[in-house]
Amino acid sequence: MKRKKEWIFFLPIIFIILAFGCQKYTPEDRCDYDGAKIEPHYAVYFALQDGTEKKYCSVVCASMSFQELKGRIKELRVVDEPSGNRIHASEAFFIESDMVTVPHVKNRIHVFSKKEDALKHLQRFKGKWMDNPFLLAVE
Amino acid sequence: MILNALSITMIFLGVLSAFMVLWGGISSLNLYKKWGRPFTPEGKVFLEDRSYLVLLIMVIVLLIRLINWPFFYATLQSFISDIEGAMCIFGVTQVKPILTRFLEFLKPINFFLIGGWLTLHFLDRVTKTSPLMRKKLLFLSILSLLVLIDSIGDILLMIGIAPESLVSCCTTVTDISNRPTRTTPLSVFGPEYAHPLQVLFFITHITLIGFIGASLKFKIFRRPILGLLFLFSLLNAAFFLLSQIEVFAPALMHLPFHHCLYCLWQYVPDSIAIYLLFTLGTFSVGWGFTTALFGKHGETADLLPVYLRKIYSFAFFFLSASFILLLIHLLVD
Repeated sequence: MKRKKEWIFFLPIIFIILAFGCQKYTPEDRCDYDGAKIEPHYAVYFALQDGTEKKYCSVVCASMSFQELKGRIKELRVVDEPSGNRIHASEAFFIESDMVTVPHVKNRIHVFSKKEDALKHLQRFKGKWMDNPFLLAVE
Repeated sequence: MILNALSITMIFLGVLSAFMVLWGGISSLNLYKKWGRPFTPEGKVFLEDRSYLVLLIMVIVLLIRLINWPFFYATLQSFISDIEGAMCIFGVTQVKPILTRFLEFLKPINFFLIGGWLTLHFLDRVTKTSPLMRKKLLFLSILSLLVLIDSIGDILLMIGIAPESLVSCCTTVTDISNRPTRTTPLSVFGPEYAHPLQVLFFITHITLIGFIGASLKFKIFRRPILGLLFLFSLLNAAFFLLSQIEVFAPALMHLPFHHCLYCLWQYVPDSIAIYLLFTLGTFSVGWGFTTALFGKHGETADLLPVYLRKIYSFAFFFLSASFILLLIHLLVD
């Protein structure tokens, strides 16, 4: 009898927890790798063959997911930092510099659509040119 | 130092507990030395009054320290927005990594010891002759030292965490391919380790609940069996942690490549209830064992089986509730 009372007391608590807990936490601007908030200027987008899209907060998170998803990626888009426009990864210039854009993963890789912008950044922040980190996917 | 309501409370509780346990620890050691020696009736009354005062105050302080463990994480969570690069508690722990890791290790030990001491204390309180008083006072003086270290650690950490510190967060540590939580099951089960690990946890957890249920049903409260049960609950806790990091956390967060438990707590807040229930369940098994080990003395011998039954009923309930919550969550997702 006493045990029943305990369960009657605790069951509503469990149901309340479940009711709130099972609501899906899927905000629009969440990184599909680590769930961090996405700053649109540093985002990376994978269009998959099944028609869905994966979005990442930085090149670092996108690279970590890339190994698992490379067979399913149809198109890969990055964001030009100065303008915020989405461009195809094969058309982008990549620079690694001292400037950190996404602190929680210490992302130092910067993306530009224009070579002049990339050169300016390179000189200002002691950067160096780097190959497209997603070259395999583009090919 | 980051000032908010939680950090101020944490410092206040740290200072308060440090002073109280210092006084309580020394007092309980003195009382332990004097307890049981021949005294005049007045001296005996004074000794008893003094013991009850020390115990009363220490019970309050220890209850505060029990709550301190989850409160510690709530405070670290509140710092996230002030630390550049932190997106979960992991980032905050990187500001003072050695001290934070030490406290994260010490707090569960203290939680277990405080709970163990309180169960002994409440058992002794029901008796008329307080046969466990000497043991209680001795354990209390040892426990006070650990609580003192914990309290000072809390104060130092709260003062030491500077706002605007730049850290890197969990992604660069918990998701690397050579993390031990991945390589260990990988070496045992091979590349498809996730499923066997999940099944293994389900088996150990259900078995543990089954053993506790059997102990309750057949009233088996012998020390060696309870000791084995405690060891088994620790093994189950290891599997719980491993399967949470590698299998359940990514599934519950809907982030298949992310393995951070701190992120799980903030993205799926009800997972905190799962962890809380699991911890209380596992620790209750331990508290049952320590009570059986140290609690059998004179008058308590008759009370012990009923008392143990209560403790193991709690363990049974907490472990079952945590399992049901996890299961329903996985099924709903």
